[in-house]
Amino acid sequence: MTAVPQLPAEALYAERMSKSFGGLKVFHDVSFTLQPGGLLGVIGPNGAGKTTMINIISGRLAASSGQVRLGETRIDGRPVYDNAGRGLVRSFQQTATFSGHSVSDNLRSAVRFARRDLSVLERLAPLLEQFGLVENWNRHAEVLPYGLQKMLGLTMALATQPRILLLDEPAAGLEKSERSNIDAYVGFAQREFGCGVLLVEHDMELIRRLCPQVIVLDGGRLIATGSPDEVLNRKDVIDAYLGGGDEEDGDAEH
Amino acid sequence: MTTAAATISGYLKQKAPFFGSHEWITLGLVLLAFAIPALTTNPQALSQANLILIAATAALGVYIMLRLDLMSFAVPSFMAIGGYTVAVLSLRLGVTDVVVLGLAAFLVPALCAVPLGWLILRLKGVYFVLVTFVLTEIVQLLLFEAAPLTGGSNGLVGMPAVRFFGFELWDNSHVLLTTTGLAFAGFLVTAIFTRRFRYEFAAIEKNDVLAESLGLACWKYKAMAFAVAAGVSGLAGFALVNMLMTAHPTSFAPMSSVNYITYTIVGGKGSILGTLVGAILLVSATDYFALRGELSPGLFGLLIIVVTLLARGGVIGTVTTLIGSLRARGSRWVGNGPARKAPKGDIR
Repeated sequence: MTAVPQLPAEALYAERMSKSFGGLKVFHDVSFTLQPGGLLGVIGPNGAGKTTMINIISGRLAASSGQVRLGETRIDGRPVYDNAGRGLVRSFQQTATFSGHSVSDNLRSAVRFARRDLSVLERLAPLLEQFGLVENWNRHAEVLPYGLQKMLGLTMALATQPRILLLDEPAAGLEKSERSNIDAYVGFAQREFGCGVLLVEHDMELIRRLCPQVIVLDGGRLIATGSPDEVLNRKDVIDAYLGGGDEEDGDAEH
Repeated sequence: MTTAAATISGYLKQKAPFFGSHEWITLGLVLLAFAIPALTTNPQALSQANLILIAATAALGVYIMLRLDLMSFAVPSFMAIGGYTVAVLSLRLGVTDVVVLGLAAFLVPALCAVPLGWLILRLKGVYFVLVTFVLTEIVQLLLFEAAPLTGGSNGLVGMPAVRFFGFELWDNSHVLLTTTGLAFAGFLVTAIFTRRFRYEFAAIEKNDVLAESLGLACWKYKAMAFAVAAGVSGLAGFALVNMLMTAHPTSFAPMSSVNYITYTIVGGKGSILGTLVGAILLVSATDYFALRGELSPGLFGLLIIVVTLLARGGVIGTVTTLIGSLRARGSRWVGNGPARKAPKGDIR
């Protein structure tokens, strides 16, 4: 299989993106830009439309209006695999691995599907060692503890050598002691691969540590943009969180 | 070099053989069937071997689709297309070369599967099962109604014997040689196809949403698999028509798909060897079941229930698990056994 060389860095643009399911507006008129190699946090209460937004950007759902561009290329409505081939790769809220297959074969599959060179695994060695995946190299994914399965799924996304990583609540379900793995992961992705990272997360400490800039969604509207300290002190943002909302669904839960 | 770097570097240097032991054993067993005519001239034995090979080849159509977690009832449809293609070519156009007929029996169903696959491969689970079952009913209806081409309820009878480089393959032992050749072609194509794309098939079977998110165009592999499964089923249709010297709609009854599914699941859907073993065991057992007359379909159904409840891996999966457990126990007794290898079910 011919390997595709690493893709050049490009910005991700969401322009006046809206999504409705019948009469239900999930979000409306949301715009933002993620610069190459940048990091943008997305926060908001449950039901704010965060996962739906990732589904639209990745191509799993079509936007009702507006557009998403990667550089000059419009990518909304294109198949998920097509966007992944352009270097736009997502992770999932729940663990997402190929059960019945070893850690090594899971990683190999990710590299193979993205048509990258297997040598990328050598670049990932420090991360794999830190997460404890090397010592479980030949174990089946489904027998690993939850935290390790989660880190395996995230490392598989990185093994595709993406330009843009869409991380859907990577810290969800992790023990407090495991959450520093997310810091290491995001730092590694930016440093080693020059990835732009869109980080959807409920862990505000993590957001404060990692994100220079965040956007806040509530009821499908973008209500605030700025640094974490700025937006988390705003009354409308505090009200949005105290108001709560409905549970969102994850994808590819296995 | 760190431990991690050494582990990964070692992994990257490993070269997995293209075929695993199951593929070699399966191809070897099919090849052994070429020797049967030299060992016996007993018509019943030759007929039984014919039936086993035809059943196993047809069941490959189920096996290929199950590798993608799709249960297909469409095998009799594509067997019929392959079988009738051969009958029409030989009776109407005088084509008797077994290689040409074999190619036609593979390619015509495979080409028919492309537009059909475009229509139905977006379905999953019970919907895919339902539509493939309805497809066999539609094909059955067409076979009866398109009388000018198919002979209708009379079928196409009196096919001439096929020829291999001018040599006429006419008697019982020659028919078995033809069936074995077609079965070997079917098993070889299936083994190459399923091994070449083993990572893709495993990923689609386990988590197609994740596979797509990593860049895999799942529909391409499903479409290819549907076409190859159709082609292989067509080879089985050719073998059946050649054995009966007749192409008749009842040879491709929709309910026969249950048999092919049973062979695959009871033998073990995780391995190509399972398909062959399932066909050998169950076609042989059919003689016994037949003694029970009307109970025969019920006994098949009971077998599926038992295997589904007690041994999901089928015969081959269960035996492989047992061997793995015994080896693990052995290495524990020895104490310093070999380093732990990748466990059962690994793609490599």
